[in-house]
Amino acid sequence: MYIASYLSSLMQMSRIVKKSPSVCTDLPLNSSDVCNKLRLMKELLKSSYGPTARLKQVHNNIGGAVVTTSTSSVLLQAISSSHPIVSLIKGSILNHVSRFSDCGLFASIFCLSLIEEAGRCDLSKNVIIRVNKHLLSLCTAHLQQEDCGCKVQLDFCSSQSLITLARSVISSKPTCVLSEPESAHISRLAVQAFLLTVPCNIPDKVRLGRTVTIPMEGHSVLESAVFPGLLLDTPENISLGNLCSPLRMVLFSASLAGDLSELGDGRIEVHQGVDTDSQIVDQLLELGKQVLKDEVKLFVCQKVIHPVLQHYLRCNGVIVIERLGISLMEPLIQLTGAQPVATLHTTVPWEAYGEVHNVSVRPFGSKTKLHLHPAGKTTICTMILCHRNETMLSELKLVCQKTEHVLRLTLREPCALLGGGCTETHLAAYVRHQSKNDVSESSPVLGCSQTEYLLAAEAFCRSLESVATSLEHDDGASLIDLTHAHHWTLPSDAAEEHLEDAAALCGCGVVQSCQNKKWSYLNTEYAEFSPEPLLTASPLQPTVLDSFTAKVNALEVAVETANLVLDVRYVIQDVN
Amino acid sequence: MVPLEQLHLSHVLQAVSALESIVLRSFGPEGGQVLFTRDTGQVMVSRSGKRILTALHLDHPLARMVVRCVWKHSTITGDGSKTFVLLLASLLRIIHATATKDPHMFQPHNSTEASEAATARHLADRLLEFALTELDKLIVLNVLPHGFRVSLENFTAKTQHDLSCQTLLVSFFRTRLGYAYCDFFRNLFCELLSHWKVKDDRPSFSMQFLNNSFLALHTQVSGVPVNCSRLIEGQVIHRDFATPCPQVRKQPLKAVVFNGYLQPKLLTTGDVLELRCGDKVTEDRGIVHFSSWTEKSVESIIATLQSFGVSVLLCALKQSSAVLAAATQAGMCLVECVSEEEISLFTQLSGVTPISDCRRIHPEHIATLTFCKPLLLGAHRYVHLDFHDCEERLKVKPCSLVICAPSEGQADQHACAFQDAFRMLLTALEPVRKTQTALEETIPSKKCTSLHADNISNGTACRVHLHQKCVTETGCVISAGGTFEFLLHHALHQYGHSCSVSVNTSAVVPVSQLLEKALLSVPRQIYSHNLKHFLQAQTRVVALIPKQPHALSANFIHTEGPLGDGKLSLCSCENGNMSLKLLDLGLESVSCKYQLVLAVLQCLTNLLRINMVLRTHAVLHTESHDSLNAHSESSEGEDED
Repeated sequence: MYIASYLSSLMQMSRIVKKSPSVCTDLPLNSSDVCNKLRLMKELLKSSYGPTARLKQVHNNIGGAVVTTSTSSVLLQAISSSHPIVSLIKGSILNHVSRFSDCGLFASIFCLSLIEEAGRCDLSKNVIIRVNKHLLSLCTAHLQQEDCGCKVQLDFCSSQSLITLARSVISSKPTCVLSEPESAHISRLAVQAFLLTVPCNIPDKVRLGRTVTIPMEGHSVLESAVFPGLLLDTPENISLGNLCSPLRMVLFSASLAGDLSELGDGRIEVHQGVDTDSQIVDQLLELGKQVLKDEVKLFVCQKVIHPVLQHYLRCNGVIVIERLGISLMEPLIQLTGAQPVATLHTTVPWEAYGEVHNVSVRPFGSKTKLHLHPAGKTTICTMILCHRNETMLSELKLVCQKTEHVLRLTLREPCALLGGGCTETHLAAYVRHQSKNDVSESSPVLGCSQTEYLLAAEAFCRSLESVATSLEHDDGASLIDLTHAHHWTLPSDAAEEHLEDAAALCGCGVVQSCQNKKWSYLNTEYAEFSPEPLLTASPLQPTVLDSFTAKVNALEVAVETANLVLDVRYVIQDVN
Repeated sequence: MVPLEQLHLSHVLQAVSALESIVLRSFGPEGGQVLFTRDTGQVMVSRSGKRILTALHLDHPLARMVVRCVWKHSTITGDGSKTFVLLLASLLRIIHATATKDPHMFQPHNSTEASEAATARHLADRLLEFALTELDKLIVLNVLPHGFRVSLENFTAKTQHDLSCQTLLVSFFRTRLGYAYCDFFRNLFCELLSHWKVKDDRPSFSMQFLNNSFLALHTQVSGVPVNCSRLIEGQVIHRDFATPCPQVRKQPLKAVVFNGYLQPKLLTTGDVLELRCGDKVTEDRGIVHFSSWTEKSVESIIATLQSFGVSVLLCALKQSSAVLAAATQAGMCLVECVSEEEISLFTQLSGVTPISDCRRIHPEHIATLTFCKPLLLGAHRYVHLDFHDCEERLKVKPCSLVICAPSEGQADQHACAFQDAFRMLLTALEPVRKTQTALEETIPSKKCTSLHADNISNGTACRVHLHQKCVTETGCVISAGGTFEFLLHHALHQYGHSCSVSVNTSAVVPVSQLLEKALLSVPRQIYSHNLKHFLQAQTRVVALIPKQPHALSANFIHTEGPLGDGKLSLCSCENGNMSLKLLDLGLESVSCKYQLVLAVLQCLTNLLRINMVLRTHAVLHTESHDSLNAHSESSEGEDED
């Protein structure tokens, strides 16, 4: 009684603890502290952008694993935000990355550049927000057009463009430390796995299958492989007798360990002499007998199987796999056509059985895996990823998952955008040209003067170009050609006069340099021009491609987030 | 010893001014967002005064009390929280100035502070009294003639006449979401309303329904641009299928809703199962017998459902794996843990009742669906379904709203703005109730009906008519940008003038003057970036006001036809150009504004009645809370009657 009242008084005391008042900041974008934080974040992300990015090591000074990465999703999560504006931007980009898996760094660099440029030009924030929104709709409308100069239609008849797309994603993550042949191998595997998950006979609704990824540490990357079907962990001494094909299998989703969890919350009192355990085991063996009678050769359970039942089944030549885990249930159901069974007391219905064509044992170094071959056409495949050490392997696994997602997005919109910064420079040139042309119509609609409109448009274009510039990390110069508006990089040791020799191809590899081309440095003034479309019969295929869907969404998310941040006038920070 | 803190008028003013300075940042056309982080690390963005103020962890008890009043007001009307704080601060400032200038106005006190406080209290009381008796009349006579009438038909009609309703919504969304998205959300809102409009029924009914079930009706998606927000047919259940959903199925589908567990719980908490040796019950298979019994009963339920042709099960609770497996084998889709709101919406739309006793399943439990399929929205997979004969049965086309934004905070902000738009419209479409009794005293009521048909130049008659309009007809709106304040300011000025002429009580300050001065602070803030605009706007509005009362009545007559037709009408037609210009600023609801002024005055009276704050460290939180609660409860009571 005394203790109870003491406890309740404690609880009241804990509830009465006063919350400290919130910290408020007026006009945060005017404070140099916030601007410095944003600039630092931009520099950090800029240096992680592209195939030649500088890697970042993330570690906690209390301890724990050290992560080496240049991926936006890992980096942004690691940034512990000291300011609400930083966490606002972070949240938006992370949401984008979780939906589209690509272009996270593009979105964040673009967004931060927009905010910085807006601070530089002395315009009312409302004007900038309205102009940004107008220019964004200009960009997206241009990108949706058929004859957009930076869009490439994907050709599903050949896997070449898909492999290029996959390779662009994989090579933009230098943490994987892949050599040329290795990244080509992984790109091919990614496309192969993707193609295996697309069903051949299409019913009224397409349902993609699954790629199960199994990481294997300590092997060469070139040993990575893709198998149709599933690879499961096996108990050590497995003996595959002579099994006839196809094999009948049963899948249990309920625990077969002998616990009766579904009886309720009440108490059970067991009197002396009652052996409930043996009753339950008898029941389980009853189940085993039925399964044997139905000629089941593969017995899989999501949870634990009672050792007695396991022993009984093994002795009778059945392959037993327990503790499958919830994540493999769905692929296994799709692969075998089995229905999970959860009843112990009723006979297993005939429809619940599934089948596999065959099983085989595959050794991978010290581990052995049981390979379930599909009985018919299947959309389930397994990807074994190998790499030399754990850090690289975990990054490689992440990259492969992202690549799969990017490839899947092409099914929604079968096109891609030119990579290597060419889309950004092209869009910047297009927007600059358009805004000059429609200044007299647009500025009254947006409620600003013509000068204000042009200034805001210039800031928008400079932000786009600064994303392209961020691809270069070795002190090279970034240039734009004044005909097609593609992006070129000039190594720091090359002289400007010999640009034709120094850079043979543009960023995406479609445009070849020639004598009569004119270039201009990015972030310098150049006369606006309308980018010329490429000749359709271009002999060169793009070598770098970006996901169309992901990039368009990233563009929109970046502008909307920047607009939101520019609109913030007051910050209230709860410091409890 | 409890520390005593004497409350001075200046303390109150200080606290409210602090709140005002925060709110000002997001007030008016040049205002922006306020960003705040919660203690959980969650980031929120808002331009809504209510959310901004409630997000502050305020220490000062008076400030907390003000926030409570604001919260209460804007929960009802959905709008006006920033103006609330502004007006309150301005009123306090004026009262403070008056009280310090002439502290011994009423009775002599020992100290100056005490007499100041007494004067302030007295002024506040008289202000409230004045507002409760006179304000409605003044608004009816001086403000309403310059307004337009909107009705819900206008929102859904696809004609040119619905300009005013569209403008009302645009200006609301502009104050909440900024310029960028106001048109987009206006269109989405109107589309939603037109889908849910019950044919041949009171329009506010469907609005009330949408407001109540908004939680279940909308889905927030983050990581996608705002312009992906859209309407989708049918209902979205914010859960995924617990069993694999078969690809091809016959249509229409049969669905049932379960409240409880499908597998009976053999032992509830407190029950004891005794297992004895050689007992009659357990002699054959012991405990196994019980668990097999529960499995059998699951099978029998599934078999019953199969005999009815049911293929979709919606359950409020998490089901056992035996149930899931049995449903899979029977080819049924099962959805677990469906929230209460969604079940309630589902049952309202389908007209079925949930099953609580699994042994009794009747045909009235079975709903018919046109489809039921998985729907991927953002990171989540939801269940998407539509009802079979909803258009015949309920005369509506059910649809759900998907709100997209790059971040969660923004999506949440948009959803809140949507919800508040419903509240604002409901308040706007409500009649100004109090006016009825006020005017009927002065005018014989039987005249009203006869006057409807013909135009009579009699001023009184018109007033009756107008008055009837705003009581029976609903939804009077007026140009935004301070028009209401300018007009009321002018009216109060005239009123104060007439009072001081007729009743020669020059010793007492006419309280209407206090309100008159305070009102102007609102438009002053709207045009704070440019004083010239403020003066221009004021002259423009004042120019609309006719000089003689007869001219005023002429205006009413002029506009009567359009008002009766329920279409947009600009009241003063001779000043049509002027009014149209004002339309650019947007529109706001007169009844929202009226309620706002009353709520501010009530809050003011409450604030000034307090004279002391007791700070304790004992376990007092219940008491102090209660007293605070009691206080705001009383103000709530006044709000409502």
